[in-house]
Amino acid sequence: MQASSTVAQSSIPGYRTPLQERVLQALRQALVLAGISSIVLPILWMMLTAFKLPRDVYSLDSALVFTPTLENLVTIFQHPWNLGSKALNSVLVASGTVLLAVPMATLAAYAFSRLEFRFKKALFLTVIASQFIPGAVVVLPYFLMFKELGMLDTRSALVLINLSIVLPYAVWMIKGFIDAVPIEMEESAMVDGAQRWRVLWEIVVPVALPGIITAAVFSFTLTWNEFLFALILGKQDALTLPLGLIGFRTERGDLWELMAAGGLLITAPMFLLSLLVHRQFIGSLTAGAVR
Amino acid sequence: MTTIQLRKIDKYYGSVHVVKDLNLEIADREFLVLLGPSGCGKTTTMRMIAGLEHPSAGEIAFDGDRINELGPQDRDVAMVFQNYGLYPHMNVTQNIAYPLKLRGVPVAERQRRVNEAAARVELTPYLARMPRELSGGQRQRVALARSIVRQPKVFLMDEPLSNLDAKLRVVARAQIKHLTQELGVTTVYVTHDQIEAMTLASRVAVMQDGEIRQIGTPEQIYNDPADTFVASFIGSPAMNLLSVQADAHGRCTCDGRPLAVTAPAPGAWTLGVRCEDLRLCSAEESAFSTEVYTFELLGDCTMATALVDGRMLAVKAGKDTRLKTGAPMHLAVDPDRLYWFDAGSGLRHR
Repeated sequence: MQASSTVAQSSIPGYRTPLQERVLQALRQALVLAGISSIVLPILWMMLTAFKLPRDVYSLDSALVFTPTLENLVTIFQHPWNLGSKALNSVLVASGTVLLAVPMATLAAYAFSRLEFRFKKALFLTVIASQFIPGAVVVLPYFLMFKELGMLDTRSALVLINLSIVLPYAVWMIKGFIDAVPIEMEESAMVDGAQRWRVLWEIVVPVALPGIITAAVFSFTLTWNEFLFALILGKQDALTLPLGLIGFRTERGDLWELMAAGGLLITAPMFLLSLLVHRQFIGSLTAGAVR
Repeated sequence: MTTIQLRKIDKYYGSVHVVKDLNLEIADREFLVLLGPSGCGKTTTMRMIAGLEHPSAGEIAFDGDRINELGPQDRDVAMVFQNYGLYPHMNVTQNIAYPLKLRGVPVAERQRRVNEAAARVELTPYLARMPRELSGGQRQRVALARSIVRQPKVFLMDEPLSNLDAKLRVVARAQIKHLTQELGVTTVYVTHDQIEAMTLASRVAVMQDGEIRQIGTPEQIYNDPADTFVASFIGSPAMNLLSVQADAHGRCTCDGRPLAVTAPAPGAWTLGVRCEDLRLCSAEESAFSTEVYTFELLGDCTMATALVDGRMLAVKAGKDTRLKTGAPMHLAVDPDRLYWFDAGSGLRHR
């Protein structure tokens, strides 16, 4: 009886013995672990290196065990590195971009989602397609344009240029969330007596808020990490944090411990931000799945 | 005091003609039900009254004044949506108060009127709750409270009971009827449920394919249907419709069997008769004989069904009647209770 059932089971296509199942499971876990390690280990290395003295950076003996120091984190704020002013620039440029991008994107997304107008589809496709143009292609026209305007090495120029990068993403993301807001809610508000602006502000925005916050965080991250345009347009006054890192490649060689400390300075706010909006973010990813 | 006039209304979605040359006068304080199957244009008609859709042609007027150009904000109508359209980020109080807030009603007055409206639909204990914390029936009552919290010119209700279970629907129906009578506001109500239409309406407009097939009181629609569509749409079960052939003397056959009734003229007819107007009888007095296809106990009565010419023929019988499947069934009928329809057009012969 048992033998016949074994024969029957093993003849089922895709049937595996418990041993095969266990080996496969182990392989899968190893693969996942390798994947996670490839992401986490560099970050871990950076975090550790930020607290190492130069002599510990290259030594394998002190890879994990070493005397930690805060010196690097102090040094990067001092002359000639001055990451403090660059951090301020980064904060101002990223916040400015988000503050402008989110309301603009929300309005555009609402229009694309709810209003009927000529060339709507074509226009929306253009907005999305503008993202497929590599930054390196347009950086020269941008450079010349801002030079003409006398805006080279200014934070406003960076805000404008980042706006052009994040807006399409934000419009596309927020439109998805507005699409998911049941139209009856808006119609209900209109019949209740609300003009379209109030419908947008009092009904659509609050309901789509998780999505809007997601778009804001995304825009902030994108701007915060932006390198190419900041490199080309910046010179001295409008340098941002990612550019600060290049400074650590000196004639004396690469100052890894300072670069790691700078890296920590760049990633820490993103970590905090992601922790803060984590709940909101997850909520928004699953919103609309179940009503 | 509001009357509604729809004059020569047409509505197209692209090339699809969803409402066709519709004319309708709704009297003050009237409860008009737009009844029809899905896709018949009833909801579109209501949405045009609300201002959520614009007619492709024709005129909509309140009290004789054209309102085509007014947005939904400016028509002073209140609407209950099929899925209620509650604001998920506002609690029950805020939901009900929203129309008042938009009209700048002072907070104290707002609260008083919210309490009043909530009490009317028995929502008082739930005022602080969010919509997601309410049951379907409670949500429906929030939508209702929101529409009665101000005195609108017109109530519009778009299948407000369709998301409720059968039991709750009966309760909510009674509640809506009571409320609208008490408030005396002109009401337009859309449904595909003929029982809702019969119980609520002061007048029913039966729609099909974007046209009104018949408009009248529930009694008129039930007892005097204009065509086979109306006859088969109203009543539960629907009116029995039989394909009948009449000879030169008006003598009829149905499904190849003699049928002892006299047709108005020779030719093909559709004969309508309601299940309660058919009577089980002995073979001698029978007008038509067939066999039992199925027999059902319904509690207060029984229902015998025969299969005639591919169609169900339902007969209502006494609660103590018992019939076996396949048994012969003899039927008598009062000639005054027969409805003759043209076999081609489906229009009633009068």
